[in-house]
Amino acid sequence: MLAPDLYSLREHFDQERILLCFNGPISRSLIEEIGNALRNYMKTEQTSPGSAMDVFAVYIELTQNIRHYARDHQFSGADTATVMVSFRDGHYHVAAGNMVRREDGDFLLKQVEELASLDKTELKSRYKQQLRQPRDQEAATGAGLGLIDMARKATAPIQASLKPLNDGFAFLSISVQI
Amino acid sequence: MNDINIAATSSTPLIETDFAGGSVFMEGDSYPENSFEFYEPLVQWVSSYLENRSNLVLELSLLYLNTSSIKIMMDIFDMLEEAHTAGKDVTVNWRYDLENERVAELAEEFKEDCSFSFNIIGEE
Repeated sequence: MLAPDLYSLREHFDQERILLCFNGPISRSLIEEIGNALRNYMKTEQTSPGSAMDVFAVYIELTQNIRHYARDHQFSGADTATVMVSFRDGHYHVAAGNMVRREDGDFLLKQVEELASLDKTELKSRYKQQLRQPRDQEAATGAGLGLIDMARKATAPIQASLKPLNDGFAFLSISVQI
Repeated sequence: MNDINIAATSSTPLIETDFAGGSVFMEGDSYPENSFEFYEPLVQWVSSYLENRSNLVLELSLLYLNTSSIKIMMDIFDMLEEAHTAGKDVTVNWRYDLENERVAELAEEFKEDCSFSFNIIGEE
């Protein structure tokens, strides 16, 4: 049996300036450990404390959203996350993907699109409004506050896409530029 | 009333309450997956404290808060605001490292919604 071609995988990572990538079932402790690795990396790269905190914050919101979604929708593979952090053209890009019900994905894409039309002041007032929403309402609408928070930290509109899969599922990818 | 003494972990802050001295101290990062569960004892403590006593100081050296922790902190500040409106003496002192302006911005946004004494103190 041939060993997997890890060199080409590594070349691909290098070309895409991917500094961190994870694919598999994500747990609370893995989120912490990968987060620590990310912070240490940014410290050695002398990233400014503000940007490092934004990158970390977006990473935590994205991965915890996947954990919460998996907890609320216990289908097989729901807790499998694909997480990637890269540094290109002077910006960090934090991306995460997971399997969702098609309708949930469509709803999230609509939210992302709506947030993209708002400027920083409008995002702030949306954020404060969402902060005052009762807890159960927040849970019902899904990633409300977290999504707005990421949009505020982002230096470009959040990118999201949906790849349809079988049986009413889809793969959701979200990418945030810091 | 029992005081709270919770050691810090990488995802949760140190929390110490002092009923006799009228203070709460919190230090570190806060991004537990279930913030409502984690902060339940503190929310209960602040609520019963304010029913019994009339002055409270929150000494905070909090750094990164995930959005669910932000929501809980806002609930706590709302309780302080209510106590302040009722004539009680409440204060928040939030200390941060001058190198990290994000912490000051976060504290500043909480302060906007509070009319009690809310001090944001940058340190070298």
